[in-house]
Formats: sequence, C-alpha cells, structure tokens
Amino acid sequence: MVAIRFIAADGSEQTIDATCGISLMENAIANGIEGIVALCGGNAYCGTCRVHVEPDWRAVTGLVTEMEEPMIEASGDTHPGVRLSCQIEVSPALEGLVVRTPESQE
Amino acid sequence: MSTVQARGCPVHQGRDDRKSARLADANLAPAENARVVGSFAAGREILRSSKVRQAGAGAEMVDLSRPDEISFFFLDGDQHRKRRAAVAGLFAPKTIVTRHRAVMDRTMDSIIASLQERGAAPLDELSWQMAVDVAAEIIGLTESDSNVNLAKRVRAVLDSSVSHNPSMLKKLLFRALMMIRVGRFWKHDLLPVIEARRKEPKDDVISYMVKENYSRKGMIMEALSYGGAGMMTTREFIVMAAWHLFEKPALRERFLSGDEEDQFAILEEILRLEPVASLLHRRAVEKTDSTTRGGAMAEDETVCISIRDANVDEAITGPCPFELDPDRAKRMKVVGPYMSFGDGPHRCPGAQVALHETRVFLDRLLRLPGIRLEAEPDILWNPQIQGYELRGAVVACDQG
Ligand code: HEM
Ligand code: FES
Repeated sequence: MVAIRFIAADGSEQTIDATCGISLMENAIANGIEGIVALCGGNAYCGTCRVHVEPDWRAVTGLVTEMEEPMIEASGDTHPGVRLSCQIEVSPALEGLVVRTPESQE
Repeated sequence: MSTVQARGCPVHQGRDDRKSARLADANLAPAENARVVGSFAAGREILRSSKVRQAGAGAEMVDLSRPDEISFFFLDGDQHRKRRAAVAGLFAPKTIVTRHRAVMDRTMDSIIASLQERGAAPLDELSWQMAVDVAAEIIGLTESDSNVNLAKRVRAVLDSSVSHNPSMLKKLLFRALMMIRVGRFWKHDLLPVIEARRKEPKDDVISYMVKENYSRKGMIMEALSYGGAGMMTTREFIVMAAWHLFEKPALRERFLSGDEEDQFAILEEILRLEPVASLLHRRAVEKTDSTTRGGAMAEDETVCISIRDANVDEAITGPCPFELDPDRAKRMKVVGPYMSFGDGPHRCPGAQVALHETRVFLDRLLRLPGIRLEAEPDILWNPQIQGYELRGAVVACDQG
C-alpha cells in the first residue's frame, strides 16, 4: 500500500491507501474519489480519468504516453501535468504522490 | 414477454428481468474451435492483451496486406492504434456535448413532430432514424438528398446483408441486388461527401479517409462498418430500453425524474442484462500468461468471450445478477455497461454516443402526452450478428 493524495478543484483533499500493481484510476474509484469518472473503465478511450500531477512528481509518473494523447487532446485539457490516471500503474515509487483532479472531466 | 421468476437467482430468489436471455441461450453459436470464456476478469484480461488478434466475424478472411481497404475493426497493433487515434476526438465526451447533442435534439424534434402527426409509428423505425442521423454526422454522411432517404438506403444494404440465401440462384440474385443497393449508397450518399471533403475537409471519418487516400472499396467498407457497428446496435438497444421502461412504471418514473447520471445508470443496467453484441472472438498470436482462471491462452488458440456471461458474473455483479438494479454498478464500483461495449483496444468508441442518444430519445419520447406502447415487439435472433432484433413494436401518442 502506498499513500496518494488527491486534491479536488475546490481544494478539498483525500489521501488513499493505494494498492500496487493496479492503476491509479482503479485505486481512485475503489476509494470513491469523486473527481475521477472513468467512463471507459481504463482503456484510455474516454479521457474522464484525467489528473494533474504536481510538478515535483512528473519525473516519477512519467510523460503522457502515445496511448493517452488522443483523448487528452480531445478533452482540451492543456495542463502541463495532465495524465490519464488509468495509464499510471501504482508502484512503491509513488509513495506520497500528489495529484489534482480537474474541475470537470468533460 | 414479462419478467420471469423461474430462472432467477436461486440463492436470493431474485427476479430474472432479462428479455433476450432465453433466445440467446437457444441460438448463440460461438466459433466451432473456440473456447468459451464467461468470467469477466478473464475476458477483460484477454481483450486487453497485446498478444491477441481479432477473430470471428470474417476476420480470418480479411486481406491484412491492404489496410486501406479494410475497416479498422479488423486491424490490430500499431495500424489499429493509429486509425483509432485519428478519429478519437469524434467520440470524446466533450464532442458529444458540444456537437452531437445538437444532432440528437434536432432528430428528436422531427421524430416527435412526425409521431404526433401520425398518432402511432413503429418504434424501430424511429430508433433507426436517430441511430442513422447521429452516426451519419460522425462518419460525415451529410450531403445526402434527405436524412430519411439516407436511412432507407443504409437500411437496404445493412439489413439485407445479413439475410440467409441458401440456394445458388438466390445467392447470385442476392449478390446482384446488393451491388445495386451498395451502388445507390455510393452514388447518393458517399460520393457527394467525398467530393465535398476533397474541396473542404471537415472533422469526420470521411475527411480522414479522403486525406489518407482510401480506395473506393475501403471507403464503402469503413462507412458500412460504422453503419453496422453504430446504427444497427443502437436501433435495437433503444427499443429494448423503451420496452423495459414502458413495462415497469416505477423504473419509468425514476428515469423521468432522475438526473442525467441516474438516467445513464438505468440505461447501462438494461444494457448489461440485454447486451446487443453477445460474443467477441480473439486468437492468440503467442502464448499469454495470466493470473486469472481461464485467462491464459495457448499460441494460436481462439477464444470466444461471452459478453452475456461476463455481464452476469457474480464476482463482479454481486448477488442476484439477473435482476435489473440501476444502483448495482455504483455499489460494485464497476463501469455501468460491464462488458457490453467490449474492452481493450477494440472497445466500442461509440459507447458514450450510443448512451447519450438513447437517453435523449427516451427522455423526449416518454414525456409525450398520451405516450403508450401499443404493441410489444417480437424478439427475433439474427444469426449473422449473433444478437437480438426487436421488430413490430408500435408506440402511440395523442395526436396534435
Ligand atoms: C448500444 C449500442 C452499441 C453497442 C452495444 C456496441 C457494441 C460494440 C462492441 C461490443 C464492440 C467491440 C467489438 C470487438 O471488440 O470486436 C464495438 C466496436 C465498435 N463500435 Fe460499437 N456499439 C454500439 C454503438 C456504436 C456507435 C453509436 C458507434 C459509432 C457511431 C459504434 C462504432 C463502433 C466501431 C467503429 C467499433 C470498432 C472498434 C474497433 O475495432 O476498434 N458503436 N461496439
Ligand atoms: S478510464 Fe477512460 S481514459 Fe482512463
């Protein structure tokens, strides 16, 4: 288990005990993080699981992958730390990770 | 047909609310050599594996050396990813709200006006118009003489392309008839758009095909694949959802008084129980490992993932899997439609589009003064697409 902090657009925070080996999105859904919608269930096809990774963590979570690009582009979200949380696998290296959820996932 | 008790959940004495299950049980025909996978977890793992390829639905007969002539339904790997990426924006939630929603509203205005004038109409005719108009906008079929004629021409090709024609003479006649129908579709619907998009590209599938220099055959195949995948499926789903809602006053009341999220939850739960597509075939190009029971595949093995079984897998549905319970998915923290739109790289791009148009259609229809289901549909089995077809439902409303 690793601790991951989600900060919503209104500033409210929730820290979850995330399970390694599954995606950040799955962990968020399992813990009732409201800012994550995840309509396509983790296939990188809906863009409704977007998170904004805090600057210090971007090197650890990595860059947007080719799989993620089309839906991020279609969402119009140009935040420099944007990622699809369904494409981030939780690992011990993410202990203490901080991400923000956008105001809307549409 | 009404709710049956007999096949309900034995432990919890729950209901079996499914209308299509009996017919599917009697008719489903997985490919002969295929191992059937019914577990949700194993099915999902296989569909997401990079070591599997499309199988069934004629996939083995497709000439993969001519990717510009085949629908991306049959492609895999990088070629597939590139094509999906090129059209991904057309299906994004934002595009649905900012662009397709207007088409849905406009179509519904004309469906309602015509229904009120006639007093009654076949439900599958109305749902077909909605499904065609919305998919046509995405594909780019916007230069036809009228949307009603477009719907008729597409229906003539797609509905007849799945009929049985056993004798040789009938086969030849059928082929000739198909060529005429496809020819009409090409001349009246596809060609005018191609010419228009050559001059001025837009954001639609045909503009992409024009840019990539698809052959005439390739364009027809792709446009009709979208037709089959997006129009025929949505037509059936709208009628099925309407049937459930007409039959269950409390559910209808909840649908009409609920917010969009709750309306989607109801529709997704109906789709879980009544998936329009039932079987997905995949072949492993190399051995796959798995921690899920039934998820590992031997090299060259073909599996048939049963969407119907996966959707009622108690490991993921919780108890009473055959009961229509719109709160289930949220409670179980699963995506609402379960496996009904497939999973992995080929997961239906039109899933959200289909749910939105069904919601808009039913929300408007069910609010009409005097609306009633005058005749229930007959539920038929289409062996070619391995799915149900609902024909003969008639809706009526106050004339005015
Ligand atoms: C209730 C309605 C619908 C259902 C149940 C449905 C179901 C499915 C399923 C199960 C697949 C996966 C096939 C596979 O894995 O082999 C699929 C793929 C597809 N669907 Fe849908 N669909 C619906 C509506 C739509 C709509 C509205 C469109 C477009 C306007 C659409 C376009 C497609 C396309 C193009 C594919 C092929 C994707 C690929 O191979 O990558 N579908 N659909
Ligand atoms: S869950 Fe759909 S893109 Fe991540």
